[in-house]
Amino acid sequence: MQSDPALDIRNLSVDVGGKPYVQGVSLAVPKGEVHCLLGPNGAGKTTVLRTIYRAERPAAGEIAADGRDIEDYAYHEWARKCGALVQSSGLLAGLTPSDIVEIGLSALGLDGVDLVLRRDEALKLVGLIQKRNQPADRLSGGELQRCYFAQLLACDPEIYILDEPTNHLDLHYQLVLLNEVKRRSRTVLMTLHDLNLVARYCDHVHLISSGRIVDHGKPADVLSRQNLMEHFLVDAHLNMQSLVINGPVLR
Amino acid sequence: MQSRFLVLFPTAMVVMVLVAIAGILWGTADISWSDRVAILMRNEDAPRGLSLIVWQWRIPRVLAVGLIGAGLALAGALMQTALRNPMADPYLMGLSSGASAAAVAAIIWLPSEVTETVGVPLIAFSGAALAFLMTLGLSQQRGRQLDPLIVILAGVAVSLMFQSVTAFFLYIGDPHVTRNALDWLMGTAAGTEWRELPLLALALVVIAGVFLMRANALDATLLGEERAQALGIRTGRLRVMIFVATVVLTGLAVSVAGIVGFIGLIVPHMARLLVGARHRVLLPLSMVLGAIVLIAVDLLCRTLLAPEELPLGVLLALFAAPPFILILRGLRRAV
Repeated sequence: MQSDPALDIRNLSVDVGGKPYVQGVSLAVPKGEVHCLLGPNGAGKTTVLRTIYRAERPAAGEIAADGRDIEDYAYHEWARKCGALVQSSGLLAGLTPSDIVEIGLSALGLDGVDLVLRRDEALKLVGLIQKRNQPADRLSGGELQRCYFAQLLACDPEIYILDEPTNHLDLHYQLVLLNEVKRRSRTVLMTLHDLNLVARYCDHVHLISSGRIVDHGKPADVLSRQNLMEHFLVDAHLNMQSLVINGPVLR
Repeated sequence: MQSRFLVLFPTAMVVMVLVAIAGILWGTADISWSDRVAILMRNEDAPRGLSLIVWQWRIPRVLAVGLIGAGLALAGALMQTALRNPMADPYLMGLSSGASAAAVAAIIWLPSEVTETVGVPLIAFSGAALAFLMTLGLSQQRGRQLDPLIVILAGVAVSLMFQSVTAFFLYIGDPHVTRNALDWLMGTAAGTEWRELPLLALALVVIAGVFLMRANALDATLLGEERAQALGIRTGRLRVMIFVATVVLTGLAVSVAGIVGFIGLIVPHMARLLVGARHRVLLPLSMVLGAIVLIAVDLLCRTLLAPEELPLGVLLALFAAPPFILILRGLRRAV
């Protein structure tokens, strides 16, 4: 008997500003697989992710984890099971990288020695252990992104939702952190704009355009020349795991 | 930062007690040391008039400004978190201007029998609550959570409206009566009575307790709306809780001592510089520092030009400017 997918989105529609934005999106992520939601700017990728971590309410459809509707989870219970790396700006005056990681762990109810061990291990992983007590509002954009990555890695939920996780990261840390996510064999749904990384790290790609899933499959199949021309307006193709770009398609 | 708190908090508590004792021992009336001791020990041979000054005027006044300072600092720290804005303060939602307009209207227009029966404090509280409801009403967007920026802009609009109403009342009012209104506007805790204290203390203890229990959720809110939501925090509900707490704390403070500015803006920044922004340490230290600052400034108001008394608002503004400039410099460095 086939088990329920770790994350199952069925016929999801989301309205933004009173208008339909995401329409009838269905996708399933089996346990331990890394899936990518790929699409041009404004396609609805982040809106789908926001609905999963419950910052947005669906207009229709449902999202289930291990066969259970996520609405049946209490908010803190869902946050423990499904963690997200998101795009958001805060008020960081008076906080340090240590604080940022601890805040994530405390919100999930962890404390004591376990909290300290997880915090330091995560900060080591992202290369911020030396800067753990520096003011967070003086970190660079990349360091701050690593800090939030450390928070997620310390919490280590069953499901990772990553919204453009490589934002502001240099090449080294893009590879280090995505390798770490892959190594953990968690269920992952992320958005990425670097198609080389999509090809390298994702087991399955869901191509979304104008709020609808228009194609899905293995990266090599979805990143076809026709899809890239039609949805990204770029004449390019995938050669092994590298994207070969001929140029933008002018309309 | 945690270890600093373990040293700083008890130190601040001791300073608060010392400042409070100073606030009780000194004032406009000159009392000898032997009388001070006799009055505080409640000796039978203590002068009755001076004893009345200490027990019925100074002690409730010191306790009131302590509670108000702590409450406004707590409200300021919570508002800065709720709106993720370092410039936020308890009066941001138009509370002070709403209270001012209502109080000034009552002092100038209502017959004294009515203001004496209902009380200017209750009328001021109602004005603050009305301004809050207007700000909240203007900030609502159908089907969406409160946006901090919209709340700030709505608060500015409501403040401006009530400020112009207050100015209009002062302009057209009888000059003899408007002097009373101006005194109220500049803030003073003179004449505070024992019966006004229990409600202030109860509100402070309950609200501080509620938010200390939610310190983790407040911390998560600092990281941004989306990040807090991803950590399972219901940010909309938490923000409304903060707004209601702010109205209660600020409304009660305004009703007892008039408009006391700057405490809610400056003190949380002072506490943040000392122990960081984690709420389990920030809130207690902000409250104690708020109490220290207001008790000390109130003492100066009573003694600097004795027997004349200065309004709280005037001296606070004077003392608030230097630390405010330092904080601005700190913020500028951080950008």
